[in-house]
Amino acid sequence: MSDQTPLVRIEGLSKHFGDTVALDNLTLDIAKGEFVTFLGPSGCGKSTTLRILGGFERPTTGRVILDGEDVTRQPPEKRHVNMVFQDYALFPHMTVAQNVAFGLELKGMSRSEIRRRSEEIMSFLELESYASRYPLQLSGGQRQRVALARALAPDPALLLLDEPLGALDAKLRGQVQQELKSIQRRTRKTFFFVTHDQEEALTMSDRIVVMNKGKVEQDGTPEELYFRPASRFVAEFIGETNLLSGQMRGTEGDKVVMDWENTTLLGTAPAGIPGKGQPITASVRLEKLGFSAERPQTANAVQGRVVGKTFLGSRMAVQVAVGDGDVLLKAYVDVQTGQSVDDDLIWIGWEPDNMAVLND
Amino acid sequence: MNDRPELFRGNRIFLACIYWSFVLYVFVPLILMVLMGFKDSKFIGFPIRSWTLEWYVGVFADAEILSTFGYSVAIAILSTLISIFVGTWLAVLLEGRKFWGRTIIFGLAVLPALVPGIISAIAFRIYARWLGIEPGMGAIVWAHAVHNVPFVVLVVMARLSTLPRSQIEAARDLGADPLISFIRITLPYLVPAILGASIFCLLLSFDDFVRSFFLGGYEPTLPVLIFAMLRSGMSPEINAIATVALILTAVVGIWAERFTRRMNKDS
Amino acid sequence: MSFDASAKRGGHAPDRQDRTFWGRLAGWGPYHTLMRLATASPRRQFLILAAFPILWVLTQHLGPMLQMLRVSLTDAYPVAPGVEQSFTLDNYARFFGDSIFWMPFFRTLTFAGVFTLCTLLITYPVAYFLARHVSRRNQMLFLLLLLIPFWVGEIVRTYAIMILLGNTGAVNLVLKTLGLIDRPIPFMYTSFSMGVGIVYLTALYMLLPLYSALEKLPQSMNEAAADLGAGAWTRFRRISLPLTIEGISSGCTLVFLISTGFYATPVLLGGPSTTVFAETIAGFFHVAGDEWPTGAAFATIMFAAALVITAAFQKLMGALRKGDRK
Repeated sequence: MSDQTPLVRIEGLSKHFGDTVALDNLTLDIAKGEFVTFLGPSGCGKSTTLRILGGFERPTTGRVILDGEDVTRQPPEKRHVNMVFQDYALFPHMTVAQNVAFGLELKGMSRSEIRRRSEEIMSFLELESYASRYPLQLSGGQRQRVALARALAPDPALLLLDEPLGALDAKLRGQVQQELKSIQRRTRKTFFFVTHDQEEALTMSDRIVVMNKGKVEQDGTPEELYFRPASRFVAEFIGETNLLSGQMRGTEGDKVVMDWENTTLLGTAPAGIPGKGQPITASVRLEKLGFSAERPQTANAVQGRVVGKTFLGSRMAVQVAVGDGDVLLKAYVDVQTGQSVDDDLIWIGWEPDNMAVLND
Repeated sequence: MNDRPELFRGNRIFLACIYWSFVLYVFVPLILMVLMGFKDSKFIGFPIRSWTLEWYVGVFADAEILSTFGYSVAIAILSTLISIFVGTWLAVLLEGRKFWGRTIIFGLAVLPALVPGIISAIAFRIYARWLGIEPGMGAIVWAHAVHNVPFVVLVVMARLSTLPRSQIEAARDLGADPLISFIRITLPYLVPAILGASIFCLLLSFDDFVRSFFLGGYEPTLPVLIFAMLRSGMSPEINAIATVALILTAVVGIWAERFTRRMNKDS
Repeated sequence: MSFDASAKRGGHAPDRQDRTFWGRLAGWGPYHTLMRLATASPRRQFLILAAFPILWVLTQHLGPMLQMLRVSLTDAYPVAPGVEQSFTLDNYARFFGDSIFWMPFFRTLTFAGVFTLCTLLITYPVAYFLARHVSRRNQMLFLLLLLIPFWVGEIVRTYAIMILLGNTGAVNLVLKTLGLIDRPIPFMYTSFSMGVGIVYLTALYMLLPLYSALEKLPQSMNEAAADLGAGAWTRFRRISLPLTIEGISSGCTLVFLISTGFYATPVLLGGPSTTVFAETIAGFFHVAGDEWPTGAAFATIMFAAALVITAAFQKLMGALRKGDRK
């Protein structure tokens, strides 16, 4: 298999449940070794996609091609795909070792092979000392690792992960995110991860597919999605942002020129250049706005009045009223640098690359 | 009990009296019956002046009575096996599955439990005749099996409804076909329910009179034997037989109650 | 550690004998083919799962009832050789023709209704006490105490009541000792003894639905009502009773259906003036031959009546519940 052909090819996939359309004509390729995250609110179609890939649902229309083979109508047990379930679905009446060996047994491996392989995978995930325990005797984090070990043991071509961190507490979650990412790198497995947590998606993924109402909103790297969101939905769903509503004036090279609050701003348009004179919305992230007392050297600069401050620990969120005072911009100030924002009037500046015109 | 407000204290004492009177109501007749089995007289009635174990000795020396015990136990075991097999299969079909006619099938599945005893016995008697089953052990086993299926269905369905769907999906995902995932995941999960239902069926069958009476041949089951003896007059011998049956069922019942509770706590 | 799928596949074939049972089964040709055929489509898989249980309930659960109905409409059963069996409604007509038949029928329904009401009145306070005044930890213990006698069979318990109520029974002994009576009161072979016996046998079927309904009621509701000035009776009538109607309804239905079906208990505890319909029906099956169709017809009438009454009762309870919500 050459690296050019995708591992998974999803062609025109739709799923209807009665009158509701859970998934609407999804077409997508997943390359081998990728960590792809499907991100979106509940009911956006991400879980349906995952369940179709796992073989638990049959699509209304469309095909799933895995490793060059059409698996759309194959039952789950026939696919080289394994899944880490949201509730882990560990078998309560089997020990950790028996759970891990379950898939290997059914592959027809010999006892010695099963033992070797499960020991290998359990030591890889640091589970050796729990081998003879039952799932109920483990902590949440340990259960999660057992679920991962069990799904990795049969050596699947594609690993599906259905919000596997949802049941963990916030502190543990950060740690497990790092672990999961490093496991993915070391095993070079293709991970198909589903979550509604944007922070989780940004931390771990090579690529994020943002879904909404059964359709793809944007498909790109975490950086692309964060700094150059294509739509208002993506801009608002991922992180916090300033939305600037103005009017399209024209282009200047590869930049877009917009009128906003009696100022002219420069920005990028990753989702396509809108027509001249149209009302448009642009997004700029809080951390991309810089403060200064004098007019800054950046291409975009506006003057405003500080109207509110929120202390957040290492940094401070500042609200600045711009123009006539009805438009608020939010920005972060680093507390350590001791930057002063106490002045009434202040300049805010940012570069065109950090502002994206959205596709409403 | 301490957290109950003072306010309801008067009610509580009144209700406690009712509860303990009810306990007396359910226990006293049985205790008297057991005591009467030790009376050193052929006549049933109070007061009891002298005591004996002769009636119990008689029961255990009587080969016919012992074989009746064996016969009843054998019927209970065989009919329970059938009820469990059919009832579990029905529960698996009915639980969490939507299909046309599901409500009808469910209604029919629990029907035998709702038919009043005499009518159920008559209907089985007629049907057995139609099928060509002679009255006797086979007919009783069959009637008990059918009558007990609803209890298995209800108990197993209740347990099955708490099995997360992801358990089966995980098994399928790891390469188990539907049958293997049923045997290796679903069935172990159902064990407490199946054991509980089995005990219940065993006791129902062992205690059943009306079906055994109408479908039996010449050999009586234990309740039928006691009934026949009672019709020709009370005697302490009956008390001894009834007491042995009582101890057997109560012990099995209590053990099952504790066992299923422990199993449910474990999982 | 190898995670490269292609390197692994097609490796050395494992020794068949060393595989686990499930591995061998899953890889066994005939089984594999069979499963593939069985699971070829969700529809076929469903049919294989559904065929046996559906066939069972139709032939074993519904079959006997339908056959009973069919026999009740024929003039002779079992059919003697050389005789033509024909359709008739005579068996039903016979029921209305003679008071010796319909008297026990109405008596049975009346008794069943009265006994059901008695059971309800006796067990409601017991269930109430269990659910509301016993701590969670002890509830199971208190309930188990009541369950034990109910594991004992119908006949044994009926016999226990005979000993209790007989002329030389415990009750008469106590009354005599207390000097309240000179000669024993003849409790036995009356509708009283029958009632004591039937309530004794059915109490559990009432107690359990009531208990589970009452157990779901939060204690705070009663406290809130008391806080608003409701007395004990008002609290019971306005809070507990309406909210446990479902439990009452299912308990009564169950007990009523069971009560109509008793045969041995009325035979042993009742007398000539308390003959119930079950005894009438049974009479037709003690003699061999052509009385079966009549027995079947009578059983059908009984079942239909019991169903109509319970259905009407449930409807009434449903209306009561709805009325209360308004």
